[in-house]
Amino acid sequence: MSVLVKDIAPGDVKKSVEQFSEATVRALSAARNEPEWMLEKRLAAWAQFEAMPWPKSDDEAWRRTRLTGFKLDNFQPYAQADGKPATVDALVQVELDEMQSAGSMVFQSGDVAFRHNAEDLSAKGVIFTDLRSALHHHPELIQKHFMTEVVKPDHNKFTALHAALWDSGAFIYVPKNTRVDLPLQVILHQSAEGAGGYHHTLLVAEDGAEVTVVDDLLGGENGLQNSVVELVVGDNSVVRYMNLQDFDHSTWNFLTGRAIMHRNADLRWIQVSWGSRLTKAFLDLDMQGEGGHGELLGIYFPTGRQHIDHQTLQIHRVPHCFSDLLFNGALKDKARSVYMGIIQVHPNAQKTDAYQRNGNLILDSTARADSIPGLEIEADDVRCTHAATAAQVEDEYVFYLMARGLTRPQAERMIVQGFFQAVLDRVPVESVVTKLERVIERKIGG
Amino acid sequence: MSVLEIRNLHAVVEDAEILKGVNLTLRSGEIHALMGPNGSGKSTLAYVIAGHPHYEVTEGDILIDGESLLDMEADERTRAGVFLAFQYPVAVPGVSVANFLRTAVSNVRGYTQQAENNGNSPAVIGSNLMPMREFRRELNEKMKEFNVDPSFARRYLNDGFSGGEKKRTEVLQMAMLEPKFAILDESDSGLDIDALRVVSDGINKLATSDRGFLLITHYQRILNYVKPDYVSIFFRGRIVQTGGPEVAHMLEERGYGWVEKEFADEPVTA
Ligand SMILES: Nc1ncnc2c1ncn2[C@@H]1O[C@H](COP(=O)(O)OP(=O)(O)O)[C@@H](O)[C@H]1O
Ligand SMILES: [Mg+2]
Repeated sequence: MSVLVKDIAPGDVKKSVEQFSEATVRALSAARNEPEWMLEKRLAAWAQFEAMPWPKSDDEAWRRTRLTGFKLDNFQPYAQADGKPATVDALVQVELDEMQSAGSMVFQSGDVAFRHNAEDLSAKGVIFTDLRSALHHHPELIQKHFMTEVVKPDHNKFTALHAALWDSGAFIYVPKNTRVDLPLQVILHQSAEGAGGYHHTLLVAEDGAEVTVVDDLLGGENGLQNSVVELVVGDNSVVRYMNLQDFDHSTWNFLTGRAIMHRNADLRWIQVSWGSRLTKAFLDLDMQGEGGHGELLGIYFPTGRQHIDHQTLQIHRVPHCFSDLLFNGALKDKARSVYMGIIQVHPNAQKTDAYQRNGNLILDSTARADSIPGLEIEADDVRCTHAATAAQVEDEYVFYLMARGLTRPQAERMIVQGFFQAVLDRVPVESVVTKLERVIERKIGG
Repeated sequence: MSVLEIRNLHAVVEDAEILKGVNLTLRSGEIHALMGPNGSGKSTLAYVIAGHPHYEVTEGDILIDGESLLDMEADERTRAGVFLAFQYPVAVPGVSVANFLRTAVSNVRGYTQQAENNGNSPAVIGSNLMPMREFRRELNEKMKEFNVDPSFARRYLNDGFSGGEKKRTEVLQMAMLEPKFAILDESDSGLDIDALRVVSDGINKLATSDRGFLLITHYQRILNYVKPDYVSIFFRGRIVQTGGPEVAHMLEERGYGWVEKEFADEPVTA
């Protein structure tokens, strides 16, 4: 069954909300008929946001990513319902058509515009819904998990703002020993221009659960996108999570994503950063249970004047965990990328096995990639390695392929595609691989 | 019947003249072995024929059937019928042998050209390709014929290949591209006797009357398996002697020390 839905009646939100303020927070919450406890939570977060300073350029995390030109006042605080009937953009329809999913949900500037469950998920006890509804239908689960443990509102300035103004996103709950075979697809299409968007992903995989979730992020022209991803990966559960960011090249994009992994949890997180004018993404694997297996894989390809910054943390708190990180990026034109990563091994996390690699392929001498890998190791019986590489497309490779009859552009394309392949090989959804290949193709071309 | 002619070829790299007047004519159906000490410029000659952009030709010409290759890019030369088997094939991670070869074969056999004539861009990978089924069938057949394990189709080009596997894959590529003239740069070096036999068998299968071979080697060993029509001695950027197979035997007896003594005094334009 699939339905076009319109959660909100036109006129629910007063047009007067034009500035970031406590009143804005109250108006947002009221327009959504939220329970009192959520309003309280939002207001507390707003107070924290106001109390926290903006990042300064001498903060280690922000030394290479400056917020010059970024002003909150330049954005409408959040996108408001336009009163038009819900429609699904052609762009979004393509995304829906291409993936065979167990369930799909589309957010259009905060509102749910479409949902379709191919499988009877509720019969299995699986919850796949928008967070706004979940507040009413699953308040105990939301109160337990929403920004309480994985990402707390005061994690950083942006998460505080997010907690005060979150406006879209999915709640995914997979009960014990339950398996969802096909991926669950969440699409955010930020169609409003110049607005703030605060997409949230809350995934709770109970012990022994298995699930794959794809977050697709589009649109956001001249806007501010400030997302949070929270993954609770239970004992022996298997989670595949893909965050595919393809915002407009005018978007200011901030992301804080964390996963808490319990005993023998198996997580693969794929982070794709194609779009935005500037991205600052904080991504953590927090390994709290023994025997955890975590993979954090990223690809990025800034062009023009795009600036893409990933900052990762692999936290090993307990013994016998494995984590593997691989971020590969290509850069063109005057693009800039930053990768900063730390593997943190706590004193009793013996037998830790942790890897971190960042590769950069510089396609133009005007592009620049900074890579700052790091280890903080307090246990003595561990195996940890990190590596950073920056390379150009070597003439020897191009010549070899040309000597087989490939044109120069074909040879260069193949080499760049090949460079991303190490990550693409580990993307578990075929249609996502095809889509990523297409974007790479497009980015190389123009 | 085609002719590859190298006429008084001079080439420099980084201000050093490496080729100092090479003359050689290779016809379809001929196998011409080129033997010389390390550093004499054999690979440079191979690269210059194939159109490596690092080398500059300062004098002379390279022609196929009277048409000069000098203004052609490497890929155009390949499409004109030249194939170079590299002494050191580079590894290209993430690019599978099958994927790469399908594009290469499509270009060389004119699929891309046809599409271009229909108004499509030839540079887009994935368009204008030889039909997958047809390509697969042919690749599988040739892998069997040239002793390359079928799993190599999906492996990344030369990535983690042993020396022997690389050289065998070069022969497979040659078989797929069906060149008029093949230049094999030390396809025998670093191979154990079994691998050498496989590579030699491959060359012999491909040595048909419509194809010429320039077999560059440091050692006489491969000539026990592949019988050359001509053997030339290459020394300090030039061919100093040409003859039949007996030249190879003489070289084996006397060694490169003899070449050094015999030809060191030859006038060389520096
Ligand atoms: N790219 C290059 N830059 C500088 N010198 C080179 C380059 N390529 C080859 N040479 C020089 O040219 C000479 C011939 O090398 P090469 O053609 O590889 O010989 P061979 O294949 O016979 O061993 C050597 O002295 C080598 O150092
Ligand atoms: Mg050589």
